[in-house]
Amino acid sequence: MTESTEQVQEQVEEAIDLTAANEVIDKYLTMTGNLMPVLQGIQEAYGYIPEETVHLTAERLNVYTSQIYGVLTFYAQFHLKPRGKYIIRVCMGTACHVKGAGRLGETLEDRLGIGHAETTEDLKFTAEYVACIGACGMAPVIMVNDATYGSLSVQKMDEVIQKYQAMD
Amino acid sequence: MVNLTIDGKQITTSKTSTIYEAAKENDIYIPVLCYAKKLLPYGACRVCLVEVEQMKGRLIPSCTTPVTEGMVVTTMSDEIKKVRKTVLEFLLVNHVVDCPVCDKGGECDLQDLTYEYEVVTSRFEGEKFDLPKDEANPFIERNMNRCVLCGKCVRVCDEVVGYGSYSFINRGFETKIATAFDRGLDCEFCGQCVSMCPVGALLPRPFKFKARPWQLKEVNSVCGYCGNGCTVTLGVKDNEVQTIRFNDETGVNDGNLCIRGRFGYSYVNSNKRLTKPLVRRDGVLKEASWDEAIQTAVQGFKDAGEQVGIISGARLTNEELFLVKNLSKALGTENLDHSGGECYKGVTEGLLETLGVRASTATFPLVEKANAILAIRSDFYETHPVFGMVVNQAIRRNEAKLSIIADKFGKLSKLPNARTLLHKPGLELNVLNALCHVIVEEGLAKTEGLNGLDELKAALKEYSAETVAELVGGDADAIKQTARELAGAENAAIMLAYGLPYTAYSKELAIAAANLALLTGIAGRQGSGLYLCGEKANSQGAIDLAILPGGKGMGAQQMLAAAGSGELKALYLVGEDPLVSYPNRSLVEKALEKSFLVVQDIFLSPSAQMADVVFPAASFAEKAGTFTNAERRIQQLHVGIKSPGEAKTDFAILQLLLKELGTSAPATPAEAFKSLAAETPGYEMVSLDMVGPQGYVWGGDNLEPELKQLVPVAGAQPLADKYQLLVGSALYHSGTLSTHAKGPNAAVAAPYIELGREDAAELQLVNDDMLKLKTVEGEIQAKVKVDRRLPKGVFFTPYHFAELELNKIYSGQPAIAVEPVKV
Repeated sequence: MTESTEQVQEQVEEAIDLTAANEVIDKYLTMTGNLMPVLQGIQEAYGYIPEETVHLTAERLNVYTSQIYGVLTFYAQFHLKPRGKYIIRVCMGTACHVKGAGRLGETLEDRLGIGHAETTEDLKFTAEYVACIGACGMAPVIMVNDATYGSLSVQKMDEVIQKYQAMD
Repeated sequence: MVNLTIDGKQITTSKTSTIYEAAKENDIYIPVLCYAKKLLPYGACRVCLVEVEQMKGRLIPSCTTPVTEGMVVTTMSDEIKKVRKTVLEFLLVNHVVDCPVCDKGGECDLQDLTYEYEVVTSRFEGEKFDLPKDEANPFIERNMNRCVLCGKCVRVCDEVVGYGSYSFINRGFETKIATAFDRGLDCEFCGQCVSMCPVGALLPRPFKFKARPWQLKEVNSVCGYCGNGCTVTLGVKDNEVQTIRFNDETGVNDGNLCIRGRFGYSYVNSNKRLTKPLVRRDGVLKEASWDEAIQTAVQGFKDAGEQVGIISGARLTNEELFLVKNLSKALGTENLDHSGGECYKGVTEGLLETLGVRASTATFPLVEKANAILAIRSDFYETHPVFGMVVNQAIRRNEAKLSIIADKFGKLSKLPNARTLLHKPGLELNVLNALCHVIVEEGLAKTEGLNGLDELKAALKEYSAETVAELVGGDADAIKQTARELAGAENAAIMLAYGLPYTAYSKELAIAAANLALLTGIAGRQGSGLYLCGEKANSQGAIDLAILPGGKGMGAQQMLAAAGSGELKALYLVGEDPLVSYPNRSLVEKALEKSFLVVQDIFLSPSAQMADVVFPAASFAEKAGTFTNAERRIQQLHVGIKSPGEAKTDFAILQLLLKELGTSAPATPAEAFKSLAAETPGYEMVSLDMVGPQGYVWGGDNLEPELKQLVPVAGAQPLADKYQLLVGSALYHSGTLSTHAKGPNAAVAAPYIELGREDAAELQLVNDDMLKLKTVEGEIQAKVKVDRRLPKGVFFTPYHFAELELNKIYSGQPAIAVEPVKV
């Protein structure tokens, strides 16, 4: 993590409003096996799992903080750092690999300055290299949040990036 | 029972046994790494694989497989040997083999197994871990490069300690054991994880590079701190206690210890220990010979005539206390008491009126089987941590329901499904009365054989759950729930800790607790118990031996008052430091100033600094004798090291005094035990050879009450003041003794004032700000500690620290009205 994203995170941490996390916990409080849905709900509300919400969850569900941390680091779906508004998933599956997915990754790194699992300082983009996303017919392929962009070249990739850069 | 065959041997064992346990019972060896007697079966390491004829085709982990009828087990074959060796090879792929500098060397399970299975070369190659060591705390070094992921530390911290420091994090090769957010360890530092670790991943830092295990002489003794009476096995080399060794075979604590027991031994080796007798000459304490010191003391006592008072500590052995008692007879005084005076006296008087016995009615291990548990005072875990761990196990293994009558939240409140009956300061009695009220009103009381039921019923009228809940700021339904659980449980426990910082309402509290124990049938019922737990290692022994004022004699507080007014001419303090630890400092100060003062201690305590004669005494590690713990278990201490310089055991010093007074004294502690057993109720039939490795519980596992007398006690009224200070114990300390030990001091080195977040925000305080608390009597100041434990308007400070001079404002009140001022 670069120093500036650390600062951003600190500011975010300070400003964390626990209302949403409390609401998620309220919803699942009496359910058995509620830790996963609570954590998923918190991630949905905040975009990631802020540390304060982990302590809150530990206290309210009476689960050890260490245990929650174990769960959070076990599953790839949970994120402990703030993530970008737009998650760019670059498929690194076999088909995409053959069709030059490596170059797409390089482009991303060149244009946005972020590699795998990194986030831009302005919290706009997060890059993720993932295994097959199941669209081999359109290789090489990337996903930006829920939208899929296939048959990409470096130039087309640039266009996609520019499109999202222009958006809020 | 189940019959099976292991290695051709016919075995009969309990049907709940695993193959490993059955083999172990019969001295058949199966290697293990992840198994521990006190933990639930886990099956992580695969070293204990065996063959079972009925389950052919694969090897069976013996530590997780239950025995079945007719099972035929083979624990060693070529196949087993090959597989175990392969398992070890796999473990050694990632493990750094830095045995020459690893403190575990010589007692490392992995090292031993590698040797046993001759794993000379490895067929596999792989990445070695290169993780940074965790040296964030002074107690436990964590070197995860040596970890074999057996999970014992994770499990013991959860199953036994109930703290939950560790978890497995990440996945696959990246898997490791870490704390929350993978930070440095910051916990209770009880070191249970260290004692469980089969490799050198978790090691005691104070012991680093001190000795190889085979160089240590092991001496079993009893921890000198609290009334739990844990066995501590001293690891001795060069006449120094180098470490405390793991031992789950001896005593009542199953190898569990707290920070004080495991890391608090260093005061024994302290270079600040007193090594020579001191006598005041020309106003200054100067070194003297034993002859001179003894003669000066005895002359002073003689000059005082009958106006002598003796206040003893409760960390003396029974044998030493017996000599203290003999000395009081030789001096012709009945002014005899031990720690706290009012406090301990109140508890014992309360118990005598209600149950007719002055002790816990059951033993600690029984609590593990309890279905309902009530802890009075949240500080119970702080004063008796290892007993607290038994409570945790009862909850986790037996689904026991725990309720805590508390003025603040504590460790116990965090245990699963624990119910905290929170009340405003000083209102424990009201909550206890409300519990009795619910039981009586709902017809749940076991009234057979109880005296005084009608009077109690009438007195309880004003204590309905609703009325009390409103007064104390609690929840009526929670009170009712707890009362029903206690009344309905097959096995239940009520626990009350007492000690110097808990002097208020002590007699009333003991009575109220006894009332509840009688109404629920807990007192005297097999498997249930009322536990009265003294703060110090031999608090119960001091009560048993009646180190209490006799006849017209004065108690500790009265003696101090009388010494201050000149009525009492001489005071003898045996292992007590009242100037720091007793309530009401000005009273103590005056008493010590005016009287001819003889102090016996291992350090030059603030009280000793005021003395006319100071005797250098011995620590628990230097003496033989017995302690009686809070469950009436008599246990033997053994001499581990020699005392520094000319210091002598309290026993030897008291012998000298008795001789100088022309009285005979028993020649050895063993002889003294014989004499004291003969005249101490409950000890009559006990001889030292009955006091084996597990000690001897006088009165049996369940002590039958001699009386069943209900006695009404009135509740208290809350203070109206906005800010109130509670006084008590901190987990890391015990009395004033632990403030001389490196371990506890590294955890909490200085006094502090704890407050909740709301108050901190309102008073604009953050951690480490200096806060002054003013009262009519005076003021104290200390650094602030902000957390979530304390309700609004309530502060807490521990009483252990001399520099705080807490007793300038503390005179035994349940809570002190204070005015906070930010400095």
